[in-house]
Amino acid sequence: MGDFTSLRVLDRFKWLFQKLHIDYAVMRKILQLKLTMDGRRMPTVFNGSRVKKEGNQFKKSLWMYGFYGLLLLTPFLFFGDQFIFFMSILFSVLMFIVMTSMVSDFSAVLLDIRDKSILHSKPISPRTLNAAKVVHILIYMFMLTGSFVVIPLIVSIFKHGIVFAIIFLLDIILISCLIVVLTAFVYLFILRFFSGEKLKDMINYVQIILSIAIMVSYQLVARVFEIVNFDIAYTFAWWHFFLPPLWYSATFELILNSNFSNPIIIFSGLAILGPIVSILLYIRLMPAFERNLAKLLSDSKRNRKKWLGLHRFWARVLCRSKEERTFYLFASLMMKQERELKLKVYPQIGFALIIPFVFIYNNLRSSSFEEMSNGNMFLVIYFALSMLPTIVPMLKFSGTYKAQWIYEVAPIHNKFSIYSGTLKACLIQYFIPVYLLLSVLFIWIFSIRIIDDLIVVLLTAIAVTLISYRLFDAEDYPFSQSHEFMQEMSTFKVLAGVLVVGVFVLVHLIFTKIPFGLLIYIVLLAIGILIGWKKVFPRRTKVGSSS
Amino acid sequence: MNKEKVLSLSDVTMRFGAKQVLNGINLEVYQGQIIGYIGPNGAGKSTTVKIMLGLLEGYHGKIEIFGEDIGKGDVAYKRKIGYVPETAELYDNLSASEYLTFTGELYGLTTKQAESKAYQLMGEFGLEHVFHQRLSSFSKGMRQKVLIISSLLHDPDLLFFDEPLSGLDANSVMIIKEILDQLAARGKTIFYSSHIMDVVEKISNRIILLVEGRVVADGTFEELQAQSKEGTLEAIFNQITGFSEHKEIAENFVEIVSGANGHG
Repeated sequence: MGDFTSLRVLDRFKWLFQKLHIDYAVMRKILQLKLTMDGRRMPTVFNGSRVKKEGNQFKKSLWMYGFYGLLLLTPFLFFGDQFIFFMSILFSVLMFIVMTSMVSDFSAVLLDIRDKSILHSKPISPRTLNAAKVVHILIYMFMLTGSFVVIPLIVSIFKHGIVFAIIFLLDIILISCLIVVLTAFVYLFILRFFSGEKLKDMINYVQIILSIAIMVSYQLVARVFEIVNFDIAYTFAWWHFFLPPLWYSATFELILNSNFSNPIIIFSGLAILGPIVSILLYIRLMPAFERNLAKLLSDSKRNRKKWLGLHRFWARVLCRSKEERTFYLFASLMMKQERELKLKVYPQIGFALIIPFVFIYNNLRSSSFEEMSNGNMFLVIYFALSMLPTIVPMLKFSGTYKAQWIYEVAPIHNKFSIYSGTLKACLIQYFIPVYLLLSVLFIWIFSIRIIDDLIVVLLTAIAVTLISYRLFDAEDYPFSQSHEFMQEMSTFKVLAGVLVVGVFVLVHLIFTKIPFGLLIYIVLLAIGILIGWKKVFPRRTKVGSSS
Repeated sequence: MNKEKVLSLSDVTMRFGAKQVLNGINLEVYQGQIIGYIGPNGAGKSTTVKIMLGLLEGYHGKIEIFGEDIGKGDVAYKRKIGYVPETAELYDNLSASEYLTFTGELYGLTTKQAESKAYQLMGEFGLEHVFHQRLSSFSKGMRQKVLIISSLLHDPDLLFFDEPLSGLDANSVMIIKEILDQLAARGKTIFYSSHIMDVVEKISNRIILLVEGRVVADGTFEELQAQSKEGTLEAIFNQITGFSEHKEIAENFVEIVSGANGHG
């Protein structure tokens, strides 16, 4: 276990902890251990034969946060002196990003149930244990917020002067305290109403929302520059008291614009009082929090059997053998319930849904709606297909990959039916919902005339799925490898997949020039898929081929 | 022999929501005893142990350990306790050396003491070659040995072992049994809960049977034998818990297993 800079900084505040009757030496020990473990968040693959030095994944992600800070926060500093507007937008973004990443990244820290039996059974006072937990979170909070605001902070010195920067810094510290407590309240709330597994699902959804939000905001930031030419006067309304970003932007109005109106003064007061009151509340509620943590282990509330009717229907329609049907159902359930997989896949789905509209929106600024709805713009729906080359290789990963022994042990006649069923489930689970939604919206925009094009798109999706599987990893078993290997999925492969989609777009365009071209294309594609699928997943049995 | 009272529970009750888990437990434990704490699943064995360790709050009644009321909030009594949890939880991404040193330090040992003692103990189990490997790579039996070592590093006077033998091979089980015997001979008190009746029968010099949160039998194996006129602890267990349908259940079970193909 190494020593940590953060701990050496903490040593300077030793007196503070001792004043609070906290056993500093023990707290430091626990923190050192926790930080060591965070650096090794990923489990070892090589059976521990050598203690590998992986970098702290979290520290690597800090660069990303620095980048987000540049992209999402800095622009608002250039919008003039109407601080109450631009700073409150800035603080909203800051609060949203930091809070969601707190919920997603710190769930592991806040909700480590192993602590209960390992640490609580030792002679350590609850006070010290809680202090260790809070400091652990604060260390991360400090690094995260720090890297997020460092660029905007430096920029603000040059743009608005040193006084602005100092107020900014103080506001950020206050707002961070508020966020820590608010996050804990979110947990407290969720823990109160949901039991273990549901809670983990909730955290999962927050993580998914966060990644989609960040991707979408890339698109939005560019637009923001276009809408800044407005000049509005701030009018106060009573419900503004409930908006913390306003509290903090008010401090700029108060000091820099010498705005001494009542609301501004009250806002500024709240900016300081808010965090203090919430921290006091937090200390009071901590025991309740700990009690509810025990719920994490249980999955008691879920008692009724899930309805699998729709899955069974599709399994019956799509699968050739009983074996394949079994794997179709199994894969559908895995795709819906395996959290780590969802975390990686759902943002891709969100992206697939949004990207076509980003292009349509861009197009609308240069041409009219009529012009567009008569043109070939609907082909942007192919962008939704580019999720398939990314998702298909993900299907071989799972958090519970060790359970793969079942594939070897079970007497499976045709091992090809495993992946065949999985790919079908992937199309129905992940692609079809996106496709249907986009189709409805596109038919509404481009009229019913594009229906044959949409059929082509559907068939292309099936072909792309098959090709991505065949090209990248003709693995035998899905859900059979640790997510840890996911990084090895090279960008090259993904690009190659997107290129494949591109080729299909070209072919599609060529066929639209030929009379009845699309109908011919549909037939060709259908035949191609049938033959291709049979070739990739032959029907012959494993036993038969070896004799 | 002048034996000291190590542990006493009087009228301890506990409920989780609507469910009453402990229904008034009274118990006195003296130095040097090896107590086999047995009972059916859900009888409240682990709950009792967790309450005594301060892992669960909200019980009623009085618990004294080493003469101190643990409800008063002073955690110092835990210093003389060693604990092997049933769930076998460890910080997986630490090496055995790091984990054991850490737990040793939490009990007040210096880094050096903890590490060298841990290394020697690992050596006795034949595990010195994996001392610096991550626990995530350990087999179930190896993890169990690490847990047992971590519970003994600080030479505690009172041991709570919850299913300590799970995952261990027959030879290791013999070692652990012998260790428990010798520790008891040196005046340590051992509170041992398990489902493997013949081990409990051989190890314990006092057996406490818990059913539905109540102590229903308490005594040496011989005393229980005399009471219930059964030969083995297993039979005594079945008799006291009023369980006699095992044959019928097994029959039904096997019936369903062999009939399953005809059903679908």
